[in-house]
Amino acid sequence: MNDEALSNAWTALEPAGDQRRRIDVRVSAWLEARDTPLAAEWLEIFRVAPVPALGHVTVSAIAIAAAPPLVWFASALI
Amino acid sequence: MIEAAAAPLAAFFAALSSRLGGDAEPLGEDAIARLVEQARAGDAGARRTLYTQYVDRVFRTVRGMLRSDADAEDVTQDALLTVLASLHRYTPRADARFAAWVTTIAVNTVRRRFRRRRPELTATGELPDVPDGPLDPEGDLDRARQRRALLVALGELTERERAIVSLRYGADLNASEIAASLGIEAAATRKILERARTRLGARIEALLGPDGGTS
Repeated sequence: MNDEALSNAWTALEPAGDQRRRIDVRVSAWLEARDTPLAAEWLEIFRVAPVPALGHVTVSAIAIAAAPPLVWFASALI
Repeated sequence: MIEAAAAPLAAFFAALSSRLGGDAEPLGEDAIARLVEQARAGDAGARRTLYTQYVDRVFRTVRGMLRSDADAEDVTQDALLTVLASLHRYTPRADARFAAWVTTIAVNTVRRRFRRRRPELTATGELPDVPDGPLDPEGDLDRARQRRALLVALGELTERERAIVSLRYGADLNASEIAASLGIEAAATRKILERARTRLGARIEALLGPDGGTS
């Protein structure tokens, strides 16, 4: 077999349709996530699940607000 | 009934495939260099085009080195994600094509992933887990026979020989590029390539011959 015949033989190792689709889906999901700005991700979360998203935001805001006094209190104790 | 139920799924995958570009015509080195620049600048379309340019090539290259389709799928995915995330580190050089850089990442992905579990082809090779719809049953059968013969013949080569012939015929690299990718001397690469090519060709011909390689 010459070089050309072997190169042609290797095309038989290319992914079958379902294999290629699985790879496409995974890479596409990664590219999608990479291309989506953080703000858009948050808006999407609010659109899909408004109540849990609001809960997350509330807990985060309380945690951020409560952190400085707690740190101050802890350092005062030490 | 099942066909009717599968239609929306098929349409979804067709749309996804067309979104990612489907089977791409190979682009020249200049066009690839422009795409790399655009992708680096944040152009998502350029990244997708680069992906479609290399996905089949990476898969067939690593499939020649690995023991299963599932391993080849995982390695292809990881390697291409590494390529797309590392474009800023690629330095174009006159003596090294972008394809060689992509292939080196794929080879390193194979090594990293299977450092503890040595990749070995089974003696009989493997056929795809789930075959596609039989649009051309005779053509599919021929392709399956060729695939099986190639995997069997590859399974009889050493690991290094398999890597070298896979990079030569799967990734279309020349001996110097293969040597650089594997970190071995170019002269040694040419020697091993010549020997492996002869053995591989003879074995495939025997397997595809009338007696199916039993003699």
